[in-house]
Amino acid sequence: MELTRRDTVALGVATMLATAARARAAEPDTLVSGDNLPQNLDPHQIFDVPMQGYALNTYDTLYRYEGNPPDMLPWLATSHTTSADGLTWEFKLRPDAKFHDGSTVTAADVVYSFQRVLGLAKAPAGAFLPVLKPTGITAPDATTVRFQLEHSYAPFLAAIPIVSIVNPRVLRPNEKNNDWAAAWLASNEAGSGAYVLDPKTYMPLQRVDVTRFDGHFMGWKENPHPVHAIAYRPTKETSTRLLALMQGSIDWTDSYLPVDDVGQVAASKVAHVAKDQDMRVFLIRMNNARPPFNNVNMRKGFAHAFDYDGFIKDILKGYAQRDPTPMPNTLWGFPKGENGYDFDIKKAKMYFDKAQHEGVNLRAPIEIHIQEALEQTTQAAQLYQSTLAEAGINLKIVNDTWANLTTNCARPETTAQMWVHWVSTYFVDPENWVGQMYDSQFHGTWKASCWYKNATVDALLGKARITIGQAARAPLYEEATRMIVADSPDIWIYNTVDLRGVNNRVKGFRFCPVGGGTEVRWVQLTA
Amino acid sequence: MIWFITRRLGLAIPTLFGLLVITFVLIRSVPADPAAALAGDNATPAQIAAIRHKFGLDRPLYEQFAIYVNQISRLDFGVSAFSGRLVSFDVRQRLPATLELTTTALLLAVVIGVPLGVIGAVNHNRWPDFLLRTTSVGGIAIATFWLAIMLQLLFSMQLGWLPLRGRLALGLAPPPGPTGFLLIDSVIAGQPAVFWSALQHLILPAITLSLGGMATIARFTRAGVLDTMQKDFVLYERAAGYPRRRLIWIYVLRNSVVATVTQVGLLFGALIAGAVVVESIFDWPGIGDYLVQAILTGDYKVILAVTLVIGVIYVAVNILTDIAHALIDPRLRSG
Repeated sequence: MELTRRDTVALGVATMLATAARARAAEPDTLVSGDNLPQNLDPHQIFDVPMQGYALNTYDTLYRYEGNPPDMLPWLATSHTTSADGLTWEFKLRPDAKFHDGSTVTAADVVYSFQRVLGLAKAPAGAFLPVLKPTGITAPDATTVRFQLEHSYAPFLAAIPIVSIVNPRVLRPNEKNNDWAAAWLASNEAGSGAYVLDPKTYMPLQRVDVTRFDGHFMGWKENPHPVHAIAYRPTKETSTRLLALMQGSIDWTDSYLPVDDVGQVAASKVAHVAKDQDMRVFLIRMNNARPPFNNVNMRKGFAHAFDYDGFIKDILKGYAQRDPTPMPNTLWGFPKGENGYDFDIKKAKMYFDKAQHEGVNLRAPIEIHIQEALEQTTQAAQLYQSTLAEAGINLKIVNDTWANLTTNCARPETTAQMWVHWVSTYFVDPENWVGQMYDSQFHGTWKASCWYKNATVDALLGKARITIGQAARAPLYEEATRMIVADSPDIWIYNTVDLRGVNNRVKGFRFCPVGGGTEVRWVQLTA
Repeated sequence: MIWFITRRLGLAIPTLFGLLVITFVLIRSVPADPAAALAGDNATPAQIAAIRHKFGLDRPLYEQFAIYVNQISRLDFGVSAFSGRLVSFDVRQRLPATLELTTTALLLAVVIGVPLGVIGAVNHNRWPDFLLRTTSVGGIAIATFWLAIMLQLLFSMQLGWLPLRGRLALGLAPPPGPTGFLLIDSVIAGQPAVFWSALQHLILPAITLSLGGMATIARFTRAGVLDTMQKDFVLYERAAGYPRRRLIWIYVLRNSVVATVTQVGLLFGALIAGAVVVESIFDWPGIGDYLVQAILTGDYKVILAVTLVIGVIYVAVNILTDIAHALIDPRLRSG
């Protein structure tokens, strides 16, 4: 039989379609993560939720948060001691931990790692810079690390898991102009974690490949069938992410699965939704330093004008837990019995009338800034717009970016009038929320972007920061939080229930508010 | 011809400098602080101020611009705030993906759009012409993101014929190659599996991206051919018994494509702009997606570099278009 050109083309197309991967694109022992990636790979430069997901798999820390609610477990350190005045902390290291190059993790490496964090002075340093100098970190012997604090700082231990321990033997040869090898580590890895990066295939925000480190100090006995490799392939678009999950080409999504998609995923045979109570507070900020929110009655009116139940039950379909304070209601230090503000337009109008008598111009439009990519910020703003309209307030919705919003928080005059965001778990201590959000010493940071100032609250938070022991600190945070709620500087809406689409072949998923369950060493992939 | 090309190249320099000035001023007019982007989340104001000083971001704007122009004259685009790598490295890594996508889309648009336009013109006011006019309006009007999702649903989810996202199947490494175009490099490296996978991954994004351009080219070609067919020389050649197919596809088409060629030059710029959306939906690791991330993170060095690179490509394509014009119509060489 003679083949014409047309036949050849038809045959080629048919072959291509026949060989196209009808089956899932994933490989049997490779977990494909569709979650977001950090902007670069240096855990001492970047300190956000995507970095937690990456660093938990490639780096180790002295202590590590596991479980929900999170427990702080010994990791590279086996134990620690604190002096009576809370100024000296000593950590004993396990002797058998190895970096990926085979060298032993020593106390000197821990000293280098903390000094590097302080030297780079980027985001992860924020928790340590006020209390720790590079010379205050020493290694009396190969397995002991000593921290001498400048003054007592109770959240110090809670912040210890922030710092990934890096290998100076790998970094020092790559240092340029005293940069602590920051340029090199941004696209390489120098850790001891359960997985090892393949730097050759790395593409920022697009592609990360890691493979299992057989020599990890924890061993793999707890997980007889661990995942061999993790392929990070973030999906930018929500629709593509959902399709990729349903098709089986990613094993999990990020933890912001839209509630409208929950039913579809849950009904599928391919995937399910992991629903976990997080410590991530969703709130609407008000700029207390500028009109009209420098008026307490205006703020209280706004607090009563948000339809909390409508948002949680109707829009979020119940996948959130009402939280009337800035503290996660699952954390110690949460003021029990505090109900905050309810949705009541009559009360809102009453407060608005009071504010008007005090000189507030109710007719001036108010801007609320949202991030369109984060659907809930838009939904919250739209709902708010409609309820505020009932009270005669004109709310304008402005689309913005995280970079813009946070950088504008440096000064009160550039900070948005209102904006919507979450405060996630960077370390498990009330300091992460109420401490850094409402103590005026943090003015100029995005967390403190409401510009709230109350001398009594500052004093309480300052005292809680230097008081040793959770039992003694908890009442201080409870009292401070009640006072903050009474002043109504922000509108606190809910504590998040994480919604992550997970392929059914993934077993052993362990959620923790730090990292959102993306630590893969516990995970298995079934056929 | 050499003088013609030299003159076109000379005009490109002020164009690109103007682009640089406008982009620099616009980016720095936005209130976002690049130092804060460099410092990252949870940085204190003191940390941000230290970074601002270190990178000279507290200097006057004209001084910063002079430093930047000096840097790029040495092809030094600086370091990306978010990736921590040289911007030139990131651009080199991602640009081929975008060019492979846009070039394929452009080829599709031309290869399909031109014949469709000719068929429409030849069948003026008959059903093929009506069909072309209706579908081309649809092709221009259709929203890229909607079309992309529909194609994903049909060809990836329902039929399972083509991949949903990405540029290459999991487990396949890009071949080392001179061009960065996976289709070409895989052929050079003799890796048919990579070629096949790259081709499959390219189809849906390229079709999505090409549709609007295809419709535009079809309409321009149709109009051009219709106009040419009214010319005397066509009447004469028809009367002389010239074969119809040869007359239309060679003589009429050559005299009709000047407007289409102009459109192709302009279309290339539109395709690069359109690639931003397509790359995002198909997780295509190109420069458009890189630019979006840079905008979201306030990484102004990346924004400037990518804008400039796209500008250079756009100018280059338009110079090539001018040259093509001159080749098609020698009268333009003296103009």
